[in-house]
Amino acid sequence: MTKKTSRRVFIRRSAAAAAGVFILPEIIPASAIGMGGKRAPGERIVMGAIGTGSQGMSNMRDFLDLKDAVQFVAVCDVDTRHLEEAKKTVDTANKNNDCRTYGDFREFLEKESLDAVSIALPDHWHGIIYTEAANKKLHVYGEKPICRTIKDGQAIVAAVKKNNIIWQTGSWQRSQAHFRRGAELVINGRAGEITYIEVGLPDGGRGIGTPPVIEVPPELNWEMWLGPALKVPYRGVCHWDWRWILDYSGGQLTDWAGHHVDIANWGAGLEHTGPVEISGKGVYPPEGIYDVPVEYDFICRYANGIEMRVANASRLKHGMGTTWYGDKGWIHTDRGNILTASDPKILEEVIGDEEIHLYKSENHWQNFVDSVRSGSQAIAPIEQAYRAISVGLLGEIAMTTGQTIYWDPEKEEIIDNPRASRLLNRPYRKPWIQPNI
Amino acid sequence: MYRKFYILLLASLLVAFLPSCKKSPVSKTLIITGQDDSHNWKASSSQLKLILDGTDLFSSEIMVTPEKGGDMQTFTPDFSKYDLIVLDYCGEDWPDETKTGFEDYVRNGGGVVIFHSSSIAFPDWKEYNEMTGLGGWNGRNEKDGPYVYYTWNKLVIDTTQGIAGSHGEQHEFEIRTRISDHPVTKDLPVRWMHGSDELYQQLRGPAKNMQVLATAFADTAFGGTGRHEPVLIAVNYYKGRIFHTTLGHAEDENSPAMHCTGFIVTLQRGAEWAATGNVTQKVPADFPTAAGAVQRTDLKEMTLAKAFENIGSYDIEKSTKYFTFLRDQIRKAEGDEKILVKLEKKMVDVLKDPNATNEAKKLILRELSWMGSNYCMPVIKSLESDPELADDVEFALNRLQK
Repeated sequence: MTKKTSRRVFIRRSAAAAAGVFILPEIIPASAIGMGGKRAPGERIVMGAIGTGSQGMSNMRDFLDLKDAVQFVAVCDVDTRHLEEAKKTVDTANKNNDCRTYGDFREFLEKESLDAVSIALPDHWHGIIYTEAANKKLHVYGEKPICRTIKDGQAIVAAVKKNNIIWQTGSWQRSQAHFRRGAELVINGRAGEITYIEVGLPDGGRGIGTPPVIEVPPELNWEMWLGPALKVPYRGVCHWDWRWILDYSGGQLTDWAGHHVDIANWGAGLEHTGPVEISGKGVYPPEGIYDVPVEYDFICRYANGIEMRVANASRLKHGMGTTWYGDKGWIHTDRGNILTASDPKILEEVIGDEEIHLYKSENHWQNFVDSVRSGSQAIAPIEQAYRAISVGLLGEIAMTTGQTIYWDPEKEEIIDNPRASRLLNRPYRKPWIQPNI
Repeated sequence: MYRKFYILLLASLLVAFLPSCKKSPVSKTLIITGQDDSHNWKASSSQLKLILDGTDLFSSEIMVTPEKGGDMQTFTPDFSKYDLIVLDYCGEDWPDETKTGFEDYVRNGGGVVIFHSSSIAFPDWKEYNEMTGLGGWNGRNEKDGPYVYYTWNKLVIDTTQGIAGSHGEQHEFEIRTRISDHPVTKDLPVRWMHGSDELYQQLRGPAKNMQVLATAFADTAFGGTGRHEPVLIAVNYYKGRIFHTTLGHAEDENSPAMHCTGFIVTLQRGAEWAATGNVTQKVPADFPTAAGAVQRTDLKEMTLAKAFENIGSYDIEKSTKYFTFLRDQIRKAEGDEKILVKLEKKMVDVLKDPNATNEAKKLILRELSWMGSNYCMPVIKSLESDPELADDVEFALNRLQK
């Protein structure tokens, strides 16, 4: 599909304009035309953003930092304060006042004619909005973890593949040189044959008890924020802190599995499979509205015999990050440019021309833009992201049931455990309909 | 004739099976207290007894030493009668004969718990200090041994000169489990919040055959050393086992330090290990985590009966403890059909209870949605017409019917 994308995008936009389907302001601001040294406006990727809270804004700024690679034209959020801030940022970048704002993603997707969309939402919304965006043939930069449940994940992977879009997961560690170098050393056997991996993710934090029910602030559409999740009264816990409630997230475990498990899989060649046996324990807060595990420790066994231990950092010798153990030593990598090994000489190893060279990207957002332009796969595709978060979600199921879970990574089913199998899914609340494969 | 034979057979079978049904043997326990001016030993010793006897693993009695200035020669307990000696004592020296008796008791495999102020006792009794591993105050300094503490994650044996024993102001602090494969600390969270307490620091001692099981960060903001100070210690002395907790400062019967579930449970586990070498107690649902400290107002562990008695009328803004207890029981069932069905029946009773709140029913429905069987279905369906519960009922049925 190389080179097809930009033409396809061009044709679609032109066709829409010619047919007069949408009556919209001119999407290319006049101010952008003819500015020296910049990319021609027609070549810029036209983007929108759904979810413009902290992570959504951070991603938008990273895209805008690319200078003239993209142009945002519309933003969508259920909180008008988020919308205002996003519009201000976009309008400042575009030097106009034209950024359109939406409180409902359905209207956003229907009215806007975009090349790509940046999506950063609470996990319980990913199933619907990722698949809807893919079905609109939009290229997607989507935040990890890509799903709250395995069932949502399967639907998202299927939609991305069916629509042949470019997908970039927000697992930006892949675009950092030291993570890539660590994974490349491992996959080329510099630590020997890998038998064991430790993945350290953050410990859970303090609780807040159960705050009283309060009036929903006027700027927030609480019903829309909840969406397919079960209805609960508003207790002031919403942006950011949804991560500590099981209805919306699995806590630090599922937030970070998309990073360090992803890196672990990348180096160990486990990107397209999953564990076959998962067992472990969680530590849950005895009190309050936050109910995700504050500590977790589980072992995943893979069909090839590799064991991966995933635990909160305080339980592990190397703390945060990924440590691969092979018969020649270990290699550890983490944020903050950390790349260490049992023997420093391992880190000086040269990877020969005939060996495996992992996909190289120096900027995660630029890589997405380049991929959209070229039509070639981005560095953090959907399947890999799904396999990374599956580890976290299966660990969550093992801890919830207190049982060893047997998983078929080919059929993507839990074997012989109807109770645990039900946890592969969280049914949606009406009127929302769960995406199917 | 035959009847007699069968009765005899039945009786002998009963006798044969009794030992296997019997719970762990009860450890005869002696709590020694008295004299200490800076601690309310009357309050702490009575609470220690309640905490230990609350497990059914200990049967304890309290022995008060002669008053300060009294005739210590009359203090001659027969340690050999006990499986466990708990020291809540910081006062005058015991007579030599009593000291020797105590040394013999431990040397021969007796169990000891050193509680809070007992870290301070007997600075000149060499064998006692070998048993406690670390101590403080009363003129202790470098001659008594090194400081032992953790920096971020490294155990430090520090021979710097200086005083031993101090503490900053009382506050809630986080405890970090340092050794997780010891019977006392197995399955405990790695990080947990402890109720407001004194945090003993700068302890020093011979530190022989000693394991630092847990530390607490002595924050300089509260007058602390900035080090991770030992709070739970295990020592092996000849055949004897000593569990040393520096926690548990009590001004009265309501001290948050002694009512902290973390204190209670580590004391119970430490005492069992000291008395028997094993720990049979499971970590309870209300053990604190990094999320926050947890208090037991009545010092007792929650029971299933108590949880279900309260779960229906449960005001979650006050506490979610009944529900988190239920979730813990479900996890601990580890998929055991019998246990899950038993829990399911009780959960269905809550759904049927007209006095139970919708809040409670919703939380029950979420759990039943995955762990329920056909048994719960009719009752869940009967709630469908309640508009308040309709979404949650649909959620549960959707999952259960898969």
